[in-house]
Amino acid sequence: MIDFLAAAIRIATPLLLAALGGILSERAGVFAVGLEGMMLMGAFASIVGAWAAHSALAGVLLALVGGATIGVVIAIVTVRFRADNMVTGLTANILAAGLTSYLLRALAGGGRPIAIHLTPLPPWPIPKLDQIPVVGPLLFSLPPLTYLAIVGCIGLHAFLLRTRTGLTLRATGENPEAAFASGAEPMRVRVLAVVACGAIAGLGGAVLSLQQVGTFTDGMTGGRGYLALASLIVARWNPIGAALACLAFGAAEAFELRLQGFGVPVSSYIVQMAPYVIALAVLAGLGRSSRMPASIGQPLQWD
Amino acid sequence: MPAFLEMRGIVRRFGGVTANDGVDLDLNEGEILGLLGENGSGKSTLMKVLFGMIAPDAGRIVYRGLPLSGHRPSDTMAAGIAMIHQHFMLIEAMSVVENVMLGWPAAGRILKRAEMAQRVREASRRFGLDLEPDAMVADLPLGRRQRVEILKAVLREAQLLILDEPTSNLAPREVADLLTILRRLRSEGKGIIFITHKLPEVLEVCDRVVVLRAARVSGGARIGEVTRAQLAEMMVGHDVTAPHAHRSPTKGPVRLKVEGLESPGLGPLSFEIRGGEILGVAGVDGNGQIELAETLAGLRRPRAGAVMLDGRDITHAAVAARTKAGVAYMPADRSSTALVRRLSIAENLMLRDSREPPYGQGMFLSVAGLQNQARRLMKEYDIRGEGPKTPAAKLSGGNQQKIVVARELDRKPAVLIAHQAAWGLDPGATRFVLERVLALREEGAAILYLSSELEEVLEISDRIAVMANRGFAGVTMRDGADIRQIGLWMSGRAG
Amino acid sequence: MTDTAPSAQDSWLAYVWPPRLRLANSMAGRVAAAAALSVALSALLVALSGHNPYAAFAAMLKGALGSPHQIGFALNRATPYLLAGSGVALCFRAGVINIGAEGQIALGGVGAAAVALHFPASLSALAVVSALAGGAVFGALWAGLATAIHLGRRVHEVLTTLLLNFVALLLVQQTLAGPLGQFGAGFLQSPELPRAAWLWKVPEFGAHVGFPIALVAAAALSFTVWRTPFGFSLRVAGSSRRAAAYAGFSAPAITWSVMLIAGALAGLAGGVEALGVQHRLIEGFSLGFGFKAVTVALLGALEPLAVAPAALFVGMLEAGAQSMQRQIGVPSALVVVIEGLTMLFVLAAMVRRA
Repeated sequence: MIDFLAAAIRIATPLLLAALGGILSERAGVFAVGLEGMMLMGAFASIVGAWAAHSALAGVLLALVGGATIGVVIAIVTVRFRADNMVTGLTANILAAGLTSYLLRALAGGGRPIAIHLTPLPPWPIPKLDQIPVVGPLLFSLPPLTYLAIVGCIGLHAFLLRTRTGLTLRATGENPEAAFASGAEPMRVRVLAVVACGAIAGLGGAVLSLQQVGTFTDGMTGGRGYLALASLIVARWNPIGAALACLAFGAAEAFELRLQGFGVPVSSYIVQMAPYVIALAVLAGLGRSSRMPASIGQPLQWD
Repeated sequence: MPAFLEMRGIVRRFGGVTANDGVDLDLNEGEILGLLGENGSGKSTLMKVLFGMIAPDAGRIVYRGLPLSGHRPSDTMAAGIAMIHQHFMLIEAMSVVENVMLGWPAAGRILKRAEMAQRVREASRRFGLDLEPDAMVADLPLGRRQRVEILKAVLREAQLLILDEPTSNLAPREVADLLTILRRLRSEGKGIIFITHKLPEVLEVCDRVVVLRAARVSGGARIGEVTRAQLAEMMVGHDVTAPHAHRSPTKGPVRLKVEGLESPGLGPLSFEIRGGEILGVAGVDGNGQIELAETLAGLRRPRAGAVMLDGRDITHAAVAARTKAGVAYMPADRSSTALVRRLSIAENLMLRDSREPPYGQGMFLSVAGLQNQARRLMKEYDIRGEGPKTPAAKLSGGNQQKIVVARELDRKPAVLIAHQAAWGLDPGATRFVLERVLALREEGAAILYLSSELEEVLEISDRIAVMANRGFAGVTMRDGADIRQIGLWMSGRAG
Repeated sequence: MTDTAPSAQDSWLAYVWPPRLRLANSMAGRVAAAAALSVALSALLVALSGHNPYAAFAAMLKGALGSPHQIGFALNRATPYLLAGSGVALCFRAGVINIGAEGQIALGGVGAAAVALHFPASLSALAVVSALAGGAVFGALWAGLATAIHLGRRVHEVLTTLLLNFVALLLVQQTLAGPLGQFGAGFLQSPELPRAAWLWKVPEFGAHVGFPIALVAAAALSFTVWRTPFGFSLRVAGSSRRAAAYAGFSAPAITWSVMLIAGALAGLAGGVEALGVQHRLIEGFSLGFGFKAVTVALLGALEPLAVAPAALFVGMLEAGAQSMQRQIGVPSALVVVIEGLTMLFVLAAMVRRA
């Protein structure tokens, strides 16, 4: 059971980081369809950074930069040029897939991808606390980026509700013209929110590559960015809710791994569909009651 | 000592339209200045330039010795200028105190929510605003929302307040309260610019007035040294329109009959309109007018009640069926309901009739039909655009509304629902719209004319109903109507 | 305005020659600039990785057009993009952001393969038509499912179509592991389809009949958009939902129509790929096709006929990429970078008016 929960947390961590970034972006009024590309770029940059600099910290920092780069691209095209958020996000995902795949091979100088194998980041047990039965191994013996995700989740919640900047960000997502009339700069707010979203989602990618596997493969995010997007909508743009939604998706996937382990005669393909089907079912269940930030997806209208 | 506010030679163009053409304006401390002008005369543009929401093409602004140029709202607010917009700049999904804290440095980087709530309560008491800090803006009536805007201004210790058409969404009672609040602010030495096109309010509360007409200053005077007629002449360039020559209503049969009509935000409501009769609906916006118009037009489903057209039940008919049955509708929202701005004039003319000849021929659109019909309607309804293919967005507001008039009236409808049909139009276009509606009346149609401009309703109607609280507060014949009684109905007191 | 004779601009040709195309004309320069800019950026990328960009692009061009066989390959490559892309363009024009082509194409492949394998017809024409119809029906069904959830439960169509893509890909794997699979093949694929169901090919070029079919479909869609009341209603709906309701157009009916048409075309694309190129159903046979469909729809400024050159452009890029990698050693993933960059530049070039 503890193993199962630990697996759920492990699977949920990259999703959660991406979802947190997505909440920032969407509450500022920009759809976060580009999470997948941001994660992929973060995953790639962190592995290459850690490998080149022989430092995990360098990897983490580069993950921030890599994800933020995609964020900058999306911010320019959607905020400055007022392009459709959804299509721009998808495009950025394609670009990230192509760029990481190309660079991985270009680094080796030819047609074959470069092979980087690093040791995945080990857990950092917190002394004493990790000895508590059940809770200790589950919550106090986690790898570093997982702690960061948990802290980030609470921090984001406080940021949105308790700080002036958070208030401005929410106002921009609700009614940018009113925010502008109140002295905010909606364009700046949206650009920064999308770039920050990229950096945080990039960390989510680093969890996959640097913390969990120790290598990068083409398209290794495998749709997790989209799943993070689904989870933040299911959670109605609330960070704490997003954590729960990610955990639920994590549990579904962990359950599938379990079933395979026990040789239960259920097709793994059917079980792999679970997160997507659950997300659809929850969205369908919420239906109209999921109130989006009022101005989301709408371009800024004045000079 | 430098002047309190000095604006010189302000010019601002939008595309081909000049909204301000060398406008000068001065304001003193402790003074309420009325900025008067018709819709579209450039008042709002001038004030948005002052507030820094749009940049002027030329001109300079000096506020208490401080030149303002390239400024943004954040700069002007820091300098002590506040603007209360016609369409309130509030976040509906947030509480009063959150709206107050938004963009206000004094709220602290980490929000001092409790302290701010306390200040909201104090200021609310001091100025008689009656606001609770934790109330959600979405739940407040429009009059209260305006007070949130005033609260924001006074808490930030603004010395100059700009109010853009502050009374347009208010009932008479709320207007009186607002004027009281403004006098109290003046007595504290604040300068106030009061933008309006309503003369009585100007005469009641202002110290001085500046009048704009067609993007230029057409006059100015101290209140007390000028008569209402003189102000009106400055505004429109000639004496105020004489009331329409009114023919006695042809007593036709009942064409539109509404019984116990109910939908969210409306009713229950019952009334009848005869052929050749105009029922004018006056009242403050937001009392069920849009609900009434859209329910009759088939855009909203009624919860209960019946709508009969010439004795036929059309309560549940779809929009297309209603149009075919003879219901015409001119919506209040021109820019994205009545018209599709990026489509051509010709396409907008066929918007509601694309499946019918001469436009639709079976499965296909007839290019020739579209061409000829558009040419004819543009001529007959005096729609001035380069050609049928010109996008509607390129036309002036008056010509855009003429497209709607041409489309809806050329069908020879049995019933016309016109909502804010002359809103924001220049005097010429207004007259055009009113004359066409009156001509339709002569042809025997039943007309429901909804407008928040009381004078317009008085001018055109045979009977007048006043909407308040989702229904008719009272109905009266136009001839011999008691204006005071209508005012009482508008403030929500049933007669 | 001076009174002059009506210019060509003003003629009623504009209704035959759609205004949007004229807009695309005025924008053609911008789209070309966007493509050029992205190629230039990619050249920089190639140079940075230590290769000669000129040699790389020369190899690419030769790979795309160097021989009849290569031209056929590029045409075959462009076919599913054109089919699915013109459907996507129709949806976008109606304001329905359908990004489910990926899943609809995949299931279209399943439908075509299932019909070809289970209802073999000896008559080639019958076999091909029935298999393609099977693909179209499967694609439309999948689009219909997304539409039902979107309209029935008011879930944003981007989310329903997107999430169903992932379900569809897994569903294809499931059918290949089960009913349609070839036992003992080592990986997920169906047995070879009966020859009668293969698409007819132009000898020497190897181009199958899919591209002409796709062109006809795009032309039909373009005609629908500009010359029918239905097309008018979807253009209105795409500009303003409220105006569409006021005009008496039913938004759900429009959404259903464009989604089913787009789904059928995407399904057809999957079928054409299976019957014309692979001759069997293989796992991941259409990976990324759906997103390419969105790319070419936008490159074609949402005008179904203009999607054709856009699809050819992408098809040629991809045909050339293989030989570029083989000959010069520049990774073929460069093509994906060029596609992504081009699309971003095009998106930025289509600045929406405030």
